[in-house]
Amino acid sequence: MNERISALMDGELDDQSAGELIQTLGAEREALDTWRIYHLISDALRENQPLPGRSFAAPARPRRWIALPIAASLAAVSLVGWLAFAPQQEAVQPPLAQAVPPAPAGAAAVPLPSAADDYLLAHQGVSPRFSFQGMAPYIRSVSDEARATRPDEARGTRR
Amino acid sequence: MIASRAAAALFVFSAGLAQAQSPEALGWLRKIHDATQKLSYRGTFVYQHGGRTETSRITRDAKGDVERLEVLDGVAREIVRTRDTVKCYLPESRVVKVDRRTADRTFPALLPERIGALVRHYDIELGEVQRVAGIDCQTVVLRPRDNLRYGYRLYADTKTGMLLKAVTFDEKGNDVEQFMFTQLAIGGVTAEQVRPRHKAREWRVEDTEAAPARMAGWSLSSELPGFHKVIELKRRMGQSRPVGQVVYSDGLAAVSVFIEPMQGGGDPVQAGTASLGAIHIYTREVANHRVTVVGETPAASVQRIGNAVEYHRPPQ
Repeated sequence: MNERISALMDGELDDQSAGELIQTLGAEREALDTWRIYHLISDALRENQPLPGRSFAAPARPRRWIALPIAASLAAVSLVGWLAFAPQQEAVQPPLAQAVPPAPAGAAAVPLPSAADDYLLAHQGVSPRFSFQGMAPYIRSVSDEARATRPDEARGTRR
Repeated sequence: MIASRAAAALFVFSAGLAQAQSPEALGWLRKIHDATQKLSYRGTFVYQHGGRTETSRITRDAKGDVERLEVLDGVAREIVRTRDTVKCYLPESRVVKVDRRTADRTFPALLPERIGALVRHYDIELGEVQRVAGIDCQTVVLRPRDNLRYGYRLYADTKTGMLLKAVTFDEKGNDVEQFMFTQLAIGGVTAEQVRPRHKAREWRVEDTEAAPARMAGWSLSSELPGFHKVIELKRRMGQSRPVGQVVYSDGLAAVSVFIEPMQGGGDPVQAGTASLGAIHIYTREVANHRVTVVGETPAASVQRIGNAVEYHRPPQ
């Protein structure tokens, strides 16, 4: 069971298995606690690691949370018991806010680039959203706004 | 310190799990996905963002797997997609842009078996039933687990699963853009209705010649959490520019990094961020190349990816 919960967290279960497991999580207290603990450990680890530093040529493999130190799990178990009665609303914000540092360099607002429609056309073609929504997002590539950067095209020329 | 952080993290997940991730909600996502692939339909839809509204008609013939989008206001631009090609017809400049999908090019589709994996980044739950364009729709809400991606409210026909409305919202819950059918007829589509209206004889053809390729020497100094590289291409843009495109995705949202050499006499790079609805475009110069990051994500996400782009000369 723990192995499967770990796989679910890593996004390695197919839709049906994920659905079944989620149903189990809803029904079995022990499984639910395991799920919570794994998330707790994963986030506690992530919070204590600097985000940058990964090479994108070799993407990091998802970690197997199951192999983590028992001490951390035990600490988490006691937290689960304590937190079950604590109010949950106020605490939701801090970790979310920490996920992204203040706006990075490059926040200056500029007009759309002159080839905005080309970039959008190329981007729409690779977005997984297509499988959800069909062609609708392609409207951006031919919208007046994206095409407005090409006043010279009507004459058949291009910068 | 660690305990308090861990406690805060636990609040998030226990709160999230208590309210969300029902198998029913995932089932609805799958239903929407299947409807998108299997249904024939014809309808008028509006795209709204930042006070602007654009009206189009979408027609899909599921039998031939052909889909056509026509702009209804102003210039009659249209896009026709077949199984392996997307053609974009621009009558004002008499240009047809052609983007081919070759067999060896993996299309980063959201596969049904990967829908379950979205729970890593989104809390997915069912909302209420609401009417859109006269049709009862089930609402499915995907709330992002961090502020690196947007949230989505999807409205799907309770009978067929067809997506009638999709709203993108930001971390404060404000709507960023929406796509909505105002009229829709399912079934009864003819092959004639998906044929392009423009013959495009003697129009200039701009073929993107997109093909998988590795961008040697280019990398990210740090990944954006949850976004993984899904495909790397070379393509042409406009009449001649060769451009590299590296795509990152969390399974639903995608970010493209375009890399092109600065040729003598080209426009100087104006570094900064532009936006179009939920799309942000961040441009900067790296190693005498123009780097353009395009993503349906909050501005900070495209900026973080853009600022992480670096070039190291590959060993000879």
